[in-house]
Amino acid sequence: MSTAAINPKGPRVYPAGQSPRAWADTYLASTVGQKILVGTTGLLLVGFLIGHMVGNLKMFSSPESINKYAYFLKHDLGALIWVARGGLLALFVTHLVLALRLRLAARAARPVPYRVMKTAQATLQAKTMLWTGVVILAFTVYHLLHFTLGLVHPASAAAPDDYLTQRVNLQQAERNLSPGSAVNYLDLKDDAGRHDVYAMVVAGFRTPYISAIYLVCQVLLLVHLSHGIQSSLQTLGLVGKRFTPAAVALGWAVAGTIFVGNVAIVAAVWAGYVK
Amino acid sequence: MKFTLHIWRQANRTAPGRMETHAIDGITGDMSFLEMIDLLNEKLLREGKEAIAFDHDCREGICGSCSMMIDGQAHGPERGAATCQLHMRSFADGADIIVEPWRVGAFPVIRDLSVDRGAFDRIIQSGGYVSVNTGGTPDGNALPVPKPHQERAMDAAECIGCGACAAACPNASAMLFVSAKVGHLGALPQGQAERSERAKNMVAAHDREGFGHCTFYGECEAACPKSISTEYITQLNSDYLASAAKAVVKG
Repeated sequence: MSTAAINPKGPRVYPAGQSPRAWADTYLASTVGQKILVGTTGLLLVGFLIGHMVGNLKMFSSPESINKYAYFLKHDLGALIWVARGGLLALFVTHLVLALRLRLAARAARPVPYRVMKTAQATLQAKTMLWTGVVILAFTVYHLLHFTLGLVHPASAAAPDDYLTQRVNLQQAERNLSPGSAVNYLDLKDDAGRHDVYAMVVAGFRTPYISAIYLVCQVLLLVHLSHGIQSSLQTLGLVGKRFTPAAVALGWAVAGTIFVGNVAIVAAVWAGYVK
Repeated sequence: MKFTLHIWRQANRTAPGRMETHAIDGITGDMSFLEMIDLLNEKLLREGKEAIAFDHDCREGICGSCSMMIDGQAHGPERGAATCQLHMRSFADGADIIVEPWRVGAFPVIRDLSVDRGAFDRIIQSGGYVSVNTGGTPDGNALPVPKPHQERAMDAAECIGCGACAAACPNASAMLFVSAKVGHLGALPQGQAERSERAKNMVAAHDREGFGHCTFYGECEAACPKSISTEYITQLNSDYLASAAKAVVKG
């Protein structure tokens, strides 16, 4: 115990080695603790991905539906949207920084490499976690630049007289632009004056190279999650030997659902089902 | 049978090592890998050269001394077998075989294929025991242990501390070793008193030795001569979380 005089009204005095700081240094800074944090943040991010995917499926309902939903997220939530964005950023940064720190420490743990090293049962997904993760980071930045900030690609009218063309023409008329000129994503408005997310998504995925980037990154996300989900469940000590196959199946099921949901939107735009 | 061996030679801890190639003839399929190295060493001695240093003791797969990375696999291609239990019939006649020591920063090479596994001893010292008074042999059923718990403890207690888990792990993590010790004592009534302290201290000792982290590649499980399952790592993590929660609640 500390020998300092304890003021009962003063701050709590911890004996040496029992302060919250010491607890964090012991439990959170160890390899197991860091891995548990990587797993937990990863699972929370998967939770976000599921919500994101389900919300985006409103694309299949109507322009009205998704635009209303987007308006709700951006304006009706008020300051809460910034809480959500801050939380997501914190999760993302924690996940990445700790995973990279662990990987660097693991590299240092084998200073002299093997001439030959074969793996017996490590899956390709497990071996490529770092690289799929880095590409997903790059994709996330691209995705934000593309749809949130509207900096990647402008919307232009292509097909004759469909919803997108109508929206683009409306903006051209409003802003006295020459016919055929492009309109920024964020300037697209629907009849109720809301930001037209529907038209923006159609404009985005009609562009072949953009759809290709999204498709490739969704495949990589599937690969990342197929190992990540089951490994996180094991890291959290939740599944023993008997339930490991179930955890693997669950990982594939969740990753597959996110993949199918997201790719369905791109595919539907391509196929002309969503227009 | 004939083989071409590419073997790591290193004079001492600090000297730079190199691969050396030796041809060997007159091997039968029933010889163990270590017996083949014995023959090679006799040949080297006859030629007036330095014999290859390697660790070995019981030669029946229970001591955990032998440690060779054979063709990129810890203890060679045979599953659930130590190097001494690996027979030359597992290789094609005339094959090139690459033999290296365990390559883990925490296991410095002493000489040739022999490494210092003192790191494992220090991990054991940090918690791989139960603090009980010893005396005469206890009565058989004085302390009842349910059969499944006993089996679980025995499966983990099979660990011979050879270091193949850390050697085979792409992250050079010895988590399977730590988890086998924690899982063994944690499954028995004698181990309960120190259970959460043990998980905390052994993981801390593991990190101090400079091993990497576990990402559930499953390579350790495949390399383990005793086929210890990664299930024990899951158990270790849950003990570790319980230990962290207990530290918060009880201070």
